[in-house]
Amino acid sequence: MVITDPVYFIALPLLTAFLLPLFGKIYKPLIGIIPGLVFAFLAYISFDLYLNLVPGKPIIIQMAGWAPPWGINLVFSEFSGLIVTLITFLAFLVWVYSYNFKKVGFDNSKKYFTLLMLMVAGSIGVVLTGDIFNMFVFLEITAIYSYGLTAFYKGRDSAEAAFKYLLLGSLSSVFILLAILLLYKQVGTLNMADIAVKAQSIDPKMKSIIAILFFVGLGIEAEMFPMNGWVPDAYSQAPGPVAASFAGMLAKSGIYALIRVFYTVLEVKGVFDLLLIMGLLTIIFAEFSAMRQKHLRRMLAYSSIGQMGLIMVAFSFNTKAGIFAGLFLMFNHAIIKTLLFLSSGFLTYSTKQKKIRDLDGFGKIMPFTSLMFGLGAFAIVGLPPFSGFWGKLNMLVATADSNLYFVIALILLVAVVEIVYYFKVIGRLYFRQQHKDVEVHNPTWNAILAMSILAIVIIGVGIYPDLITDYLTKATNELFDKAGYIHSVLPNLSLN
Amino acid sequence: MNSLVLLILIIAGGALLSYFGHKINKILGNITVFAVALIIPIYWFTQVDFTETVSFTVSGFHMELGYNMYGKLFSMIVMILSPLALIYAIGYMKDQKKLATFYFSFLFSILGMTGILMSRDFVSLFIFWEIMTWSSYLLVIFLGKDVQKTGIKYMVFSAIGAYAMLMAIVIIYKNTGSMMLSDYFGSFAGFTLQTKLLTGILLLLGFAVKSAVMPLHVWAPGAYSNTPMAYTSVFSGALSKMGIYGLGFVVVNLFAQANLEIVGYVLAWMGAITAVLATFSAVFQHDAKKLLAYSSIAQLGYIVTGIGIGTELSIMAGLYLAVLHAAFKGVLFMVVGAVERQAGTTDMNVVSGLARKMPFTFFTALIAIIALAGIPPLGGFVGKWMLYESLINNSNFLMVIMIFLSSTAAFLYCFKFLFGLFLGQQEPEFDHVKEASPVMIIPMLLLSVFLLVTGAYPGIVFKYVAEGMTNLGFHDVNWQMSVLTNAWGDSVNVQHVYLSVVVVFVAFLIFITWRGYKHSTKISTKDISSSGEMIKPEDNMTYAMDFYKPFQRVLQPILKWKINKYYEDFGKGLEALFDFMRRIYTGNGQTYAVYVIIFLAILLIFSKSIFGY
Repeated sequence: MVITDPVYFIALPLLTAFLLPLFGKIYKPLIGIIPGLVFAFLAYISFDLYLNLVPGKPIIIQMAGWAPPWGINLVFSEFSGLIVTLITFLAFLVWVYSYNFKKVGFDNSKKYFTLLMLMVAGSIGVVLTGDIFNMFVFLEITAIYSYGLTAFYKGRDSAEAAFKYLLLGSLSSVFILLAILLLYKQVGTLNMADIAVKAQSIDPKMKSIIAILFFVGLGIEAEMFPMNGWVPDAYSQAPGPVAASFAGMLAKSGIYALIRVFYTVLEVKGVFDLLLIMGLLTIIFAEFSAMRQKHLRRMLAYSSIGQMGLIMVAFSFNTKAGIFAGLFLMFNHAIIKTLLFLSSGFLTYSTKQKKIRDLDGFGKIMPFTSLMFGLGAFAIVGLPPFSGFWGKLNMLVATADSNLYFVIALILLVAVVEIVYYFKVIGRLYFRQQHKDVEVHNPTWNAILAMSILAIVIIGVGIYPDLITDYLTKATNELFDKAGYIHSVLPNLSLN
Repeated sequence: MNSLVLLILIIAGGALLSYFGHKINKILGNITVFAVALIIPIYWFTQVDFTETVSFTVSGFHMELGYNMYGKLFSMIVMILSPLALIYAIGYMKDQKKLATFYFSFLFSILGMTGILMSRDFVSLFIFWEIMTWSSYLLVIFLGKDVQKTGIKYMVFSAIGAYAMLMAIVIIYKNTGSMMLSDYFGSFAGFTLQTKLLTGILLLLGFAVKSAVMPLHVWAPGAYSNTPMAYTSVFSGALSKMGIYGLGFVVVNLFAQANLEIVGYVLAWMGAITAVLATFSAVFQHDAKKLLAYSSIAQLGYIVTGIGIGTELSIMAGLYLAVLHAAFKGVLFMVVGAVERQAGTTDMNVVSGLARKMPFTFFTALIAIIALAGIPPLGGFVGKWMLYESLINNSNFLMVIMIFLSSTAAFLYCFKFLFGLFLGQQEPEFDHVKEASPVMIIPMLLLSVFLLVTGAYPGIVFKYVAEGMTNLGFHDVNWQMSVLTNAWGDSVNVQHVYLSVVVVFVAFLIFITWRGYKHSTKISTKDISSSGEMIKPEDNMTYAMDFYKPFQRVLQPILKWKINKYYEDFGKGLEALFDFMRRIYTGNGQTYAVYVIIFLAILLIFSKSIFGY
């Protein structure tokens, strides 16, 4: 293809976002159509680039002609490419879903799509960039537009949620910036590959302080316990598709940044043990809290945190099997949680208080949405034949591989809790008498389309996981091969 | 195409067809279900090649499907019982809604069971196991009764079992590098004792949940009685046998081979305790469904005991009882379903005297009860006899006493069941009751005929049991080897004893029928004489209420001890704990910020112990 260049991933949505109000002035429906076109294009080029990627030869773009380590570079490798493809694919589906989301009037949809595009651009930027300061910038972009999206409904609760998010988000920025500052002072470069080369020479004391700052700063973004207080509020107050994109994109870019920093940039002994412990705590606290939630979206938010904890645990093994499992879990979480949030959007839309007990008997009045929710619930707790099962199986095999039997027991015990709260919802949806005077909002055709695509992916991968395992294996090899990453970014460097 | 894959596809396709058939309209749906119920067993018995295997690699795991004789034995239970239950369901579920979901889940659980029995590796075993679990869960909560309590209890216990199994599987994979069952069996002897016990016991736990061994049985009474009866007959008859299937190969192929018979022995004890306690509970139930549910648990207890002892004879007894249990418990749950549908309730304090109204149902119930109680000439007798014999041979006298106690007490509930529903005085409020529709009667009759035939010729079943046992490492097994020896050294083959008993019994039956026929007069159930007191027709003299009250008084101290309560308290405690943990998320932004700062401070303070500097 002629125009497949990773720069588009960032430039195009940024540009469109700022031009969107202008398009709106020309012809109102363009507000909805243009973002769709852009997302479709991005999804197309990411698939095109990703499928044509030569193993071991990532696409590296030098911005403004400055070669790294001086200039900023974008790295579209098997690993980052996979995440980018996932993000663009989900962004497109979120657009399909929210194209004529009823509550959104013209002004609102202008705001909504602008913010969404900027958030997507930011998330993609975090994943693609090869420069640590640039990563910080993109994290900021993502965060700022996420605050805006959280406060989208202008109510008291949304504002409060956005404020909490803002509070923790700014702490995160401070710590990351501080870490970058210290790092720059030590090595005199911001390019990630270059830092990776020079990091050995850093004073170990200083290195551990930098690692701690990164760990805390990125931990907030990756929803790590005990710094994930913003998550339940933000997920439950933001509009349905936004919550879906938080789970699918925002969390993904957060965890990507965390593992990229600790796998590739900074090699610190002991950080993976810490990640294991924090991941386990994240799972335990999140899933146990989810059990006692009365609001559907809050329950999903806690469950989402739990999944992120599981992903952290998988990456903390620092083995190929672990990374593979972690990537599989990331894929599952992105697809399945998106489906759950999208369907819950319509389920809670019809109830006033958005509580789980208002959902009695919805299986009858909203058959399709309930079916999608049920499917998502089956998949996320890891029942075969859905994709969640293979992620969980690989995860447990990787855990056993690392001889951590107590972690297996713990994960499985928590999984029982997970089953309980998801099946309680399913029981209510399908096997209870419905309440009277329920206003039904049937999903629009585009929402049905978006959810069906996700459902097909879940079942398809569940029945035949080899659809994606090859790509995951390649991405695993790429992330595990630190020297290869450095070599492809800095080809002239002689590693000795 | 491979016949095994085709079998799976036929069942899955049948599930989808029935689903869409019922979505379109009821008649089309019922025709589809009927056709599917015929096609599956016909295909299985005529077309499936039991020597065939199929293997594929998915996500890096090697998976293989293929029958062995042991799996075939259990498949036979599934393939005979479930189609009959499906046909029965057409009549039983006639007035229900959401039939599409019902038949879809029903057929998927058949798919799960079929798959389990042909899995040669742990991944496919687990996949099919979970399919079976969630489809049966959907059926447990199908009627919307106690969704949050019974349904969740079933799911939690199933999940604990399944995840115990999953944990065993990944540890096995780590140790052997292969998911194949045969590789695990092969290398088991080489494991450390710790790994042996860990993997084996976790697997046992997984299987024991489904076979309702105490103390993992608490899901069963509720789940068995809340499920539509058409499915309960499969649930108790076939699905619980999946647990037995697994227990069998774990106990025999693993622990017995590795000189760890003690594990099987413990299991046998648990089975015996289950049998006794569940029987006592069954005696005092006044809902026929609950009675049968407890009785199922008790019967599974015998089977588990037989498997756990692990000798040739005891396993033969266990497997034989497993087959028979499927048949008679299948019939009995269908009977209760028919009563529920025709009379509107299964409460034995309310219903009575249905024998004249529902003669066919009564007949099948009678046959099944005779088989269950182990009265000659029906098959239950042989199975129990062999179980006793195997226990005595092993000098497990205490266990013999327990099993004997349990099967004697079983007479009490057997009689209560028959009396409560079918005998006694016929009440006017049940005058309208009619016999169930032929669609329901025919499957019940077919199973009763099976029971009668196997009663006369138990060798039919034993042939397949013996075949199945070759895969457990027992060759040349024959039921005639059950031999009675007296103190003087004379021995007599049990087959001869058995046949004599049958002949005498049948002769006696013919004799009393012939003698009695001449003098018989027809009277109503209200025709009661009493000494002086006038009894009006509306007075009911034969209540089934408070049956066995004195017995109950004696057993009160044992029955008070309900394990269920402990589980519920534990669950409540956990919920309180969760609530406490949830409070970490205060909802206050400042607090969250403080958490972050504290976390950072802790990391900085302890950085030396975390990072080494």
